[in-house]
Amino acid sequence: MNQKFKQKAAFFLFRLFSFFIVGILISILGFIVINGISVISWEFLTESPTDGMTSGGIFPAIVGTFYLVIGSLIFAVPLGVMSAIYTTEYAGNGFIVRFIRMMTNNLASVPSIVFGLFGMALFVNKLEFGDSILAGSLTLGLLTLPLIIRTSEEALKAVPDSYRSGSLALGASKLQTIRKVVLPSALPNILTGVILSIGRVSGETAPILFTVAAYFLPNLPQSIFDQAMALPYHLYVLATSGTDLEASRPMAYGTALVLIAIVLIFNLMATFMRQRLNKKFKQN
Amino acid sequence: MKKIILGWLLILLYAGNLNAQRVKGSETVLPITQKAAENFIKSHPRTNVTVTGGGSGVGISSLMSGTTDIAQTSRRIKFDERKKIKFAGNNLREVEVAFDALAIVVHPSNKVSQLTREQLSGIFTGKIKNWKEVGGEDLKIIPYSRETSSGTYEFFKESVLKHKNFMSGIMSMPANGAVIQSVSQTRGAIAYVGLAYLSDKVKPLAVSYDSGKTFVKPSVESAKNKSYPIVRPLYYYYLSKDEAKVKNFIDYLLSPTGQKIVEETGYVPVS
Amino acid sequence: MAQKNLLGKITEKLTESLLTLSGALTTIAILFITIFLFKEGFGLFKSPAIEDGYGLYVHPENPVNQLHPLDVKNMYDEEIINWNELGGANQEIMVFRIDDVFDYYTDEDLGENYSLLPEKLGYIISDHKNIIAYVPEEFAPSVTQGSKKVKVHNTTLSDFFLGKEWLPTATPSPLFGALPLILGTLLVSLIAIVLALPLGLGVAVYLSELADERMRKFLKPVIELLAGIPSVVYGFFGLVVVAPLVQKAFNLPVGETAFTGGLILAIMALPTIISVAEDAIRNTPTAMREASLALGATQWQTIYKVVIPYAGSGISAAAVLGIGRAVGETMAVLMITGNAAVIPSTIFEPVRTIPATIAAELGEAPSGGQHFQSLFLLGCILFLISMIISIVSEMISKKKTYKSL
Repeated sequence: MNQKFKQKAAFFLFRLFSFFIVGILISILGFIVINGISVISWEFLTESPTDGMTSGGIFPAIVGTFYLVIGSLIFAVPLGVMSAIYTTEYAGNGFIVRFIRMMTNNLASVPSIVFGLFGMALFVNKLEFGDSILAGSLTLGLLTLPLIIRTSEEALKAVPDSYRSGSLALGASKLQTIRKVVLPSALPNILTGVILSIGRVSGETAPILFTVAAYFLPNLPQSIFDQAMALPYHLYVLATSGTDLEASRPMAYGTALVLIAIVLIFNLMATFMRQRLNKKFKQN
Repeated sequence: MKKIILGWLLILLYAGNLNAQRVKGSETVLPITQKAAENFIKSHPRTNVTVTGGGSGVGISSLMSGTTDIAQTSRRIKFDERKKIKFAGNNLREVEVAFDALAIVVHPSNKVSQLTREQLSGIFTGKIKNWKEVGGEDLKIIPYSRETSSGTYEFFKESVLKHKNFMSGIMSMPANGAVIQSVSQTRGAIAYVGLAYLSDKVKPLAVSYDSGKTFVKPSVESAKNKSYPIVRPLYYYYLSKDEAKVKNFIDYLLSPTGQKIVEETGYVPVS
Repeated sequence: MAQKNLLGKITEKLTESLLTLSGALTTIAILFITIFLFKEGFGLFKSPAIEDGYGLYVHPENPVNQLHPLDVKNMYDEEIINWNELGGANQEIMVFRIDDVFDYYTDEDLGENYSLLPEKLGYIISDHKNIIAYVPEEFAPSVTQGSKKVKVHNTTLSDFFLGKEWLPTATPSPLFGALPLILGTLLVSLIAIVLALPLGLGVAVYLSELADERMRKFLKPVIELLAGIPSVVYGFFGLVVVAPLVQKAFNLPVGETAFTGGLILAIMALPTIISVAEDAIRNTPTAMREASLALGATQWQTIYKVVIPYAGSGISAAAVLGIGRAVGETMAVLMITGNAAVIPSTIFEPVRTIPATIAAELGEAPSGGQHFQSLFLLGCILFLISMIISIVSEMISKKKTYKSL
């Protein structure tokens, strides 16, 4: 009797916890959506901020985030995929591979502010790129590299060995096999990883604080050596700076909504892609 | 697909030959520069002004490392900062662009209306801990400060604390706006903010620098006629080699149109 | 035909070496980060703890030859007021800064380009046996002009790790006591784990043991969404919603406290904890569960007596990774913990964490200066913590794999 009661209590508690988590998500999303939805308009998305950041739009921040995401992918995707190809196709299973995997995991757990610190020291100061889209993209690229490597490795591993042996048996070289057989099969999953990292990079603030972020840019950045505005940094300054915090508050909600929308859309895209792909593989 | 990417890359790599300048630094001067930049662009379409905050210290540090063209500050440049710039072979130029009064603010429900400099110093260095010691109710004093990068922080330390250090463990807010927010929510709070940030969410105090003989409330008038004791100039610093680049914008800010923007934003014009 | 093969072979070799190089990329990155951080950070201990380009000078007859930076700060804050507290004569300390020279001389007196300044400073110092003057070295009076330079100690390791005051911009002597920051970081992370671990574990058990397929399909995306919300959005939510709530609920003077920070960090760490713990619980062999049930235990008894202990290492890994996530968080903490560099005595006080300190102060620290170096040192601490956490969690998971064999 006692045991049954204990079980009922424990299970009830755990069910409660789970609903609590859902509640937290709903309150955060609800908070932003309810307060932000009234601010969203075509003007909001396509104009620059005006009146001391209390009206207008956030277009430069959206564009800035876009540039930074593209920039970081330019660095992280080719290098990350190549690195994954090396560890899955070439390196075997010895000490070296395990060491590299450990290093990748280490890099993945480095806090984002340390990336910002490093990025500032190396790209902004030492290499003298200054506060620029270049420096910001390199820093963000470094941040997202482990994620790309991990997802690409999984994608490559998921390609059945029979594909590889079949290709080699037909007389193709290893490189040709990778290029024409393995990579194309792994591509959808690699893409999923890229989409995930887009969601991640869009929301990062700490790495761009000292490498690229600007408070106000009346015109869009013209070159990769310019500073840029970015959505997460914009939200931060709207929430803490400016003469009239009350008046900027609606803009802050709007920015938060746009930011969350972008992040969530990409995350959900990646999740659904992954589910569909897994179904396909299961069917095969 | 490839062509589109290539096209974007070319656009990105094209180093624009627009007259572009970067202004970085003080959170206090930020609203002035931002508004001025907004209006400047309207009348001078082929220009670009990038504005970033972070604090006066950030501005000067960026000027030294070459990542900004103008450093906006709410404090005078320090001797060794000046020296570093000289050692790098550059010449520094200083321009006063506006005046600002530092207001001392408390929660609207606070009964205290005036304090002397000595009392303020005692409060912010942690020696005076309760409002009843300065004529208020029995309530713990919660002082707020700015981050060390702030020129407002440095100026307050110099002028009010006479170079003494703030009490360790004082709360540091990243910007004036955040200070106002916190003070309006905290009954025992006291803080210092630029005049332009006053709102009816907080209550400004009258200050005496002559040990209690005269108390003056902060306002644009009392700042203009210097009767309010905590007044400071706001500066733009730049290197002489960038003079041609920054001249137009600085002249704009010092012109009657620019100074009107200064006044509209809540600061005191230079004239 | 042979040429084509040769070209093909060269391209292959090139591509393969490129691939090999890419493999080393993350290792190179870690190496670089380590080198940069440590080289810059440890430079802090190499220079005296006084503002660059300045010196402290006293009267030649003053027996005091060297000072600890903490003493210098206390002298200038008027906490130490007599020389005999520092081993000198019984006289009141007279504190002097370079700007005070204008109390004694006019601008003209000091000559063109301040050429007469060292001489005049020499007069002032010789006139006052109890003076301590903080002046730029460029204009300092020489020994012949009547002064003695006081050596200021460098910041030592114990000054940094055990020092209780973080005043990086204090003049004349900045203090780099990182203890309040370290403790602040640990406190906030501890609160986060204490809140998140039971909650996360409960949800993990629910997901793996109790939930039906439909609930699982619903909950998993919810958890992933929580994981995807950017730090700055959590900070915004915390600032506008949670901090005022905490202030009202606990009747505090301020809402921005360690507890508030821990609360938000707990939410941020939950997805990590839940997914790792859930994985561990699921991997418990069905055989063990069935054996327990066959012996008459209820499902709940099975869970907490058999499954959870078995998944113990995985759950520890979850906790460790959750701590790692909490320790490194920057923006959310920066916006809601009040940033007060003080050793916390209760959880309802503002604190300052290491990541928030770096984020708040890095912009204004001049490159290469002591403040800059101290922030890198803080970065080293964070980096080391994250490395240790990553390695420990891997070791814990590896132990588990051997156990299952």
